[in-house]
Amino acid sequence: MDVTVLDRQQATYPLELFASSVPLFQSYLGSGPIVELKRPEAYLGGDGFHEFVYFPVGGGPEFGDSEKLNLVPPDAAPGYCISRTSSCQMTAFHAASMKEEREDMILEKMESTTGSGSRESFTKRKAEVVADHKSKDKRIKSEVEGESEVKTKCSTQVSRNSSKENSKACEVQKPDYIHVRARRGQATDSHSLAERARREKISKKMKCLQDLVPGCNKVTGKAGMLDEIINYVQSLQRQVEFLSMKIAALNSSVEFNVENLPIKEFPAYVANFPAAAKLPAMPNLTCFQLNPMQKEAVNCMLNETIHPPLTATEGIASASVSIPEQALSSSTITQLQPFSTWNMDPQGLYNVYDMGFH
Amino acid sequence: MNNPHHLNPTSLKSRFTTRFLRALTKIRAQKPISSSSPTEIFRRYRRIKVAADKSMAYSVRSRRIWSRAMLWKLRSRSYRRQDPCSGRRSGKTNQAIMKKSSNENTTTRREDGVGFVEEADELRQLVPGGETMNLCNLLDETAHYIKCLTTQVQLFSPIGKG
Repeated sequence: MDVTVLDRQQATYPLELFASSVPLFQSYLGSGPIVELKRPEAYLGGDGFHEFVYFPVGGGPEFGDSEKLNLVPPDAAPGYCISRTSSCQMTAFHAASMKEEREDMILEKMESTTGSGSRESFTKRKAEVVADHKSKDKRIKSEVEGESEVKTKCSTQVSRNSSKENSKACEVQKPDYIHVRARRGQATDSHSLAERARREKISKKMKCLQDLVPGCNKVTGKAGMLDEIINYVQSLQRQVEFLSMKIAALNSSVEFNVENLPIKEFPAYVANFPAAAKLPAMPNLTCFQLNPMQKEAVNCMLNETIHPPLTATEGIASASVSIPEQALSSSTITQLQPFSTWNMDPQGLYNVYDMGFH
Repeated sequence: MNNPHHLNPTSLKSRFTTRFLRALTKIRAQKPISSSSPTEIFRRYRRIKVAADKSMAYSVRSRRIWSRAMLWKLRSRSYRRQDPCSGRRSGKTNQAIMKKSSNENTTTRREDGVGFVEEADELRQLVPGGETMNLCNLLDETAHYIKCLTTQVQLFSPIGKG
């Protein structure tokens, strides 16, 4: 009975291939937990389902070779997988993404978890799905199964584990709408789905930001990362302020021709400014409306001029070294602490900060 | 002597550098450098800082929300300096614009459903024009803003090291 039903659906996929493809299937499992979603027939024996979840990690590289749905063993009939998975193009589905924990938005038509008793519903779902694939024109469509067949989810723990490691949603081949898989216990109305899509986007962007901001890897959790990002932006802004203050102090009457100035010689021009030696002792700083750090900066620059610097640039360099030390003692020290975890990078000021820390 | 590699003439770095150098020459041409009093230095510093911001914003053009907001701020500030009455007008228009765009984004602004509203608000204050962005745009703008700030720091930092 089952065979005939299944054969009706995929005429080209003989049932006996299932058994042979299971081990192959397992080898693909290292790449992605979505695997079991493609093979509902394999769930005919519900006890065999758990095999698919705890997959070996070594299967990962295999998966990364192709972006298509290689979750089905190669000897499977292409028609079979296409009819099921035509809506799902795993364009972004590579091995690296598998390791990341994403939310469970899978553009998957097939219900991943059914026991043996639900084969009929399965095939019915398949038919529905295929029909829906042609007819629906909504932007985001929740799984039909999710709304109507909630009860048929099997081995919930297994599915939840596997679904937790599933990758993000893939694009449909038809650009009209995005199919989304709902997790067990999650609502499937459009609002929460849209909400989840938003959260997916946001977490994706946070990951990009994580790459930009040094030292973000050690912090876990979105709030901590946001704090790191805020600190980083603040520090960058302060650096720019500090450096422009340096430029203002260094400015001298040396003229340079902008049009002929190659960009790489910009530092050379500025370094020739002898103005640092001309810094007089500034009697009082009350006329300055500076924030504490800038006050400290100017203070230190003054202190440096009292002990005459060797050369202009050296003076400023040594001044800039001591300034972070002073800045550390100011109220911003708590915010500057995370900087010590940043890697040394060629940027000049980071070296300065590091020197200030040692 | 520091950078043996040549810069792409259309890259952000080169655009910013040329603009900033031009502004720098203008600033130094405006006032003689003989006076190095604290007020002078401070005023020059302010001007340089504004020049840096402006150069950066102009290099990015209007492609980004934050650059647009920054340009808007700079322009309104200059208008206000020229004509105190127009400052009020521009302030009102600015508020109207902000309010309008914030109304559009209000549904997603306050309660993002992800639970870090305070940090998001703090970030909004840091990034120019951030008050009118929802969290998604805010993160995008922050990334680009960080990139531009690091470019600025990269260009400025060799100054002290010679």
